[in-house]
Amino acid sequence: MQVTPLLDRLNRRATFETKGVLRILLILAGLIVVAGVLSRGVFFGPENLINLGQQNAMLTVVALGQFLVILTGGIDLSVGAILAISSVVFVLFQGYGIVPALALALLAAALIGLINGGLVTYVRLPSFVVTLGMSQITLSLAMVLSKGGTVYTGLGGAAIAAPIIDFYNGWLLGIPLHVVFALVVVGVVALYLRTSYGHFAYAVGGNRSAAYLSGIPVATISVLVFVLAGILAGVGGALFVSRVGLGDPQAAKWIVLDSIAAVSIGGASLSGGVGTVAGTLIGVIILGVLNNIMNLLGVPPTMQPAIKGLVILLAVFLNSGRREK
Amino acid sequence: MNRNPSPARVRRWMGRNTSTVALVVIFAFGCVALPNFADKFNLSAIAFQYSIIGFLALGQLLVILTEGIDLSQGSLVALTSIVIATLITHAGLPTPVAILGGVLASTLLGFLSGLLVSRTQIPAFIVTLGMLGIARGLALLISIGKPISIADEVFADLGRSKVWEIPASLILWLLAALLLHYFLTQRRLGRHIYAVGGSAESARLSGVNVRNIKLLVYAMSGFLTGIAGVLWTSRLSSGSPIGGVNYELESIAAVVVGGGSLFGGIGTVGGTVAGVLIFGVINSMLNLAGISPYWQGTIKGVLILAAVALSQLRRADRTNVRGVARHASDSTAGPAKPSRNI
Repeated sequence: MQVTPLLDRLNRRATFETKGVLRILLILAGLIVVAGVLSRGVFFGPENLINLGQQNAMLTVVALGQFLVILTGGIDLSVGAILAISSVVFVLFQGYGIVPALALALLAAALIGLINGGLVTYVRLPSFVVTLGMSQITLSLAMVLSKGGTVYTGLGGAAIAAPIIDFYNGWLLGIPLHVVFALVVVGVVALYLRTSYGHFAYAVGGNRSAAYLSGIPVATISVLVFVLAGILAGVGGALFVSRVGLGDPQAAKWIVLDSIAAVSIGGASLSGGVGTVAGTLIGVIILGVLNNIMNLLGVPPTMQPAIKGLVILLAVFLNSGRREK
Repeated sequence: MNRNPSPARVRRWMGRNTSTVALVVIFAFGCVALPNFADKFNLSAIAFQYSIIGFLALGQLLVILTEGIDLSQGSLVALTSIVIATLITHAGLPTPVAILGGVLASTLLGFLSGLLVSRTQIPAFIVTLGMLGIARGLALLISIGKPISIADEVFADLGRSKVWEIPASLILWLLAALLLHYFLTQRRLGRHIYAVGGSAESARLSGVNVRNIKLLVYAMSGFLTGIAGVLWTSRLSSGSPIGGVNYELESIAAVVVGGGSLFGGIGTVGGTVAGVLIFGVINSMLNLAGISPYWQGTIKGVLILAAVALSQLRRADRTNVRGVARHASDSTAGPAKPSRNI
């Protein structure tokens, strides 16, 4: 009785997706027109568009991880802390070479994700509280590692390897490497969602019991999305190091709320089961364009949080439509 | 209530009030292990600081009981303080009017959150996240981003005064908690809040006006946040547009450590009060013991996880690991409510 609606839902998903993405694209188009007009075309200048891309590559990667967790009906408040500890670990182990340092940073990130997923799935704790607690623990460990401050050099004084910084300044076919990289990650996550395990993620978020009764490995999927979110946040930490040139336990604290906002603007439901990669990407771009246009127009920083809050509410409202829960 | 507490009754009471028992144990440990802990000054410092979080936690409890969440509290504290400071310092209004204005502003924004949560499809998380930005933005806008000092001595005394050596803010908070406890357990409206959190659909079918209950809890959270804002402003003797960041996370943690469930319908005022005090006591103990601030986050994080894990394990018989109802009677009731991953 519960299996049939589930299969129906999976079949009908394609049309749902298209409608949602179209609606959100309209919102973005509206915002871009407003941005272009208000900035008298400066918005469309190549320099500004490059800026826009480079500033939002990191958020894109982190938001995709957040999206996977939200898709299964959870939430991950620890992505900011994971990003921070990954940036610290990445810099601290520079002396061992880029690849081992990156591997260690991502390993730490994956491990925290694994603990998140394990506690949520096997002890059945609410993901909000688990990731809130893990966020505190992770931040505190990042501070212990960095002795409270920012880290510019690895243990023993090894400087941050040049290729890491070059990666931020590099280009491919006229596109900044960070943007290319973020788009590759978008592609990979989109491909993942086309695999059976990706479909399972939708099923788990849509109706956990029905998914279980249909033979879907619910526990594995639940843990997997948190691990993936951890790894993607860890990658975000590496991008942070590449962009800013240091590791920082206070890095990108804003990214938790912005990633959740981007996913929601993109049409994903916080109850799980609904949402698309394309929507999430567009959600990130909407937030990015909004920040960009406020800076272009010289909106004082004191007014920006209020405007951003209003736009988030408006965008989610316009995109919430009449969807059944 | 029990005239002759038998061991079994005591055990049952302790099972229901884990957070209170934990508080007593931790407190006793602090008194024995740390020489300065039971000191009058230390205890009143805890009371001053945590009665503010305490007011926030009471509001947060109401919202969480309806399966909602209020992320705007920290920003509302800042907004309240800026409204009060502006009304006193710039507008020259009498202090009581200014206090009323501050509380009103916070209540109004809470009411707005409630309207959006109850009348639209936007999830509470996003509504209050938006409100977090809007309230912070308003505070920055009104104050042009700068703190506003308050010269009024009477107002400053409000948050620092003591009655019989007990901080007045603590007394105020405990009174509010008592009142709220009475409201939640004895009044029809209070019971409706539990009903909505237990199952909004059942509540609606039983004739409860679910939308208005949701509206009410966010407005009440705004009001209680306003009171917290008054105490906070009075302690600082100034309005600050950048203060109060992440206060909502502390209040959420306190409610959860006090046995509240983010799935709604479960949680008590007594547990929440104990949850707030546990954080206050542990915070003070960590500082007195000279634990590095870098490690304190780890200890508090582990505490939160342990507390939730404990209360979850006590309820664990309701569903199994995969979120499927274990009892045959539950599995026929459609999609199991605790099946969400959040």
